[in-house]
Amino acid sequence: MPLTTGALDISAAELALASLFIVAAGAISLWGRIGLGKPILMGAVRCVLQLTIMGYVLSFIFGIASPWLVLLLFCVMVAFAVRIVRGNVSEKSIPFVLPSFVTMLLVYAVVTSTVSGLIVGVRPFWHPQYFIPLAGMVAGNSMTALGLSLDRLLSDLKAKRDLVEMQLCLGATPVEASQDIFRDALKAGMIPSVNSLAGVGLVFLPGMMTGQILSGEDPMLAIRYQIVVMFMLVASTALTVSLVLGIVRQRCFSPGRQLLLRSNRPQ
Amino acid sequence: MNPQIPCFEFHDVSFTWHGERVILERQSFSLPQGAFVLIRGPSGGGKSTLLRLMNRLEEVETGKISYLGQNLTDRHPSELRQQVAYLQQTPVIPDRSVRDILLQPFSFRVNREKTKPSDQILQQLLGKVQMKDIGLDDPGAVLSGGQRQRLSLVRTLLTGPNVLLLDEPTSSLDSESRRCVLELVEERNRQGTTIVMITHDTFLPKHVPVMKLTIDQGRVFVCR
Repeated sequence: MPLTTGALDISAAELALASLFIVAAGAISLWGRIGLGKPILMGAVRCVLQLTIMGYVLSFIFGIASPWLVLLLFCVMVAFAVRIVRGNVSEKSIPFVLPSFVTMLLVYAVVTSTVSGLIVGVRPFWHPQYFIPLAGMVAGNSMTALGLSLDRLLSDLKAKRDLVEMQLCLGATPVEASQDIFRDALKAGMIPSVNSLAGVGLVFLPGMMTGQILSGEDPMLAIRYQIVVMFMLVASTALTVSLVLGIVRQRCFSPGRQLLLRSNRPQ
Repeated sequence: MNPQIPCFEFHDVSFTWHGERVILERQSFSLPQGAFVLIRGPSGGGKSTLLRLMNRLEEVETGKISYLGQNLTDRHPSELRQQVAYLQQTPVIPDRSVRDILLQPFSFRVNREKTKPSDQILQQLLGKVQMKDIGLDDPGAVLSGGQRQRLSLVRTLLTGPNVLLLDEPTSSLDSESRRCVLELVEERNRQGTTIVMITHDTFLPKHVPVMKLTIDQGRVFVCR
């Protein structure tokens, strides 16, 4: 007898029961005096609200199936991703929001459309049931990587100013003078994605695959989808992070090849 | 090259640090080609900033600085820095071998057509700054502060700049090493390199004429 069934409903009472997990996390925070009680509570409230709103939005968009609405939701998702990236970067004197937004929009659109239209073969390629969840996964994954990388790039350029200037003094171009720092920042953003590639299936079962299995799909189909998603996430992270880092690095130097990030140290 | 053209010419130059502390206030002066210039002045008076302006690591607010008759802003920054080398006060040594550190400038595009010096030349130069016991394969990370300072100087000299801007190059050195470094700098000056050096030493070069320059409270005083 096959053990797979369709997805079982979760009632409001069962959801309330699940909130005990948050209570447990909050209790640990209080016990350890780590001051995360309020962020955990606020995060849980936001999680419920945002997902509920997204549920209504998705139901509405799936019903209408307009490419413009899909595009609008896609832009809103990217805008929120950029906002979160901005919050993760402590050095804000170099403008990076606009280049991040434009790059993320383009890379996510190309990668998601390729997966949806070419690999999965959805017609039309922007079909909201496929395009939006795929774009969401791409945005969520590379957003974290980009935040890490940008923070690393800007803080290292500032902290290692003497090293960068020493190389500029010896005739290096800004790209040459910041090559090691750029490489470290790119690596910092890429490592989590590469680690996921190695750990998937052994250490963890990703959310999308778990969701498909829970909803009664054939596990082999869920796995094929997951393989495509994993490859897509690594590519989108590499593309987004390297392009944004390249643009932001250029903005860290003046046309006279002076490093613009500076501490308050007098000369 | 016309020797009558000053090496550096400051025209009405002003510079303020962070928009608050005045470093230069409408100052005009010139430094001749081949000169040996010693810069002195109180701490925080702007001596390092003056060298950074000449190397274009900082941009003047008003006025202009010319190098061999041409405005610094009209010159390609990397080519300018190849000709006008600036040695920072605190030596910066990457975590590589001594050879790699010394040859680092030759990995930059601006120096790629230059011939890399042989190991023999590198050893000779290290010997001139009392570092003949240091192997080219030794890691730079284990060098002392004084050794790093001398290694940085040798690295700067290797590409053969026309002007050397030296920010207290002997501050971490014992008297013998200091003497050797100053002799090397003086030798370069005799070969035609213009030297502009910040120093608190009482040292004066023995065999070349010296121009003294004091910077204090936004003004530059030149004594020939």
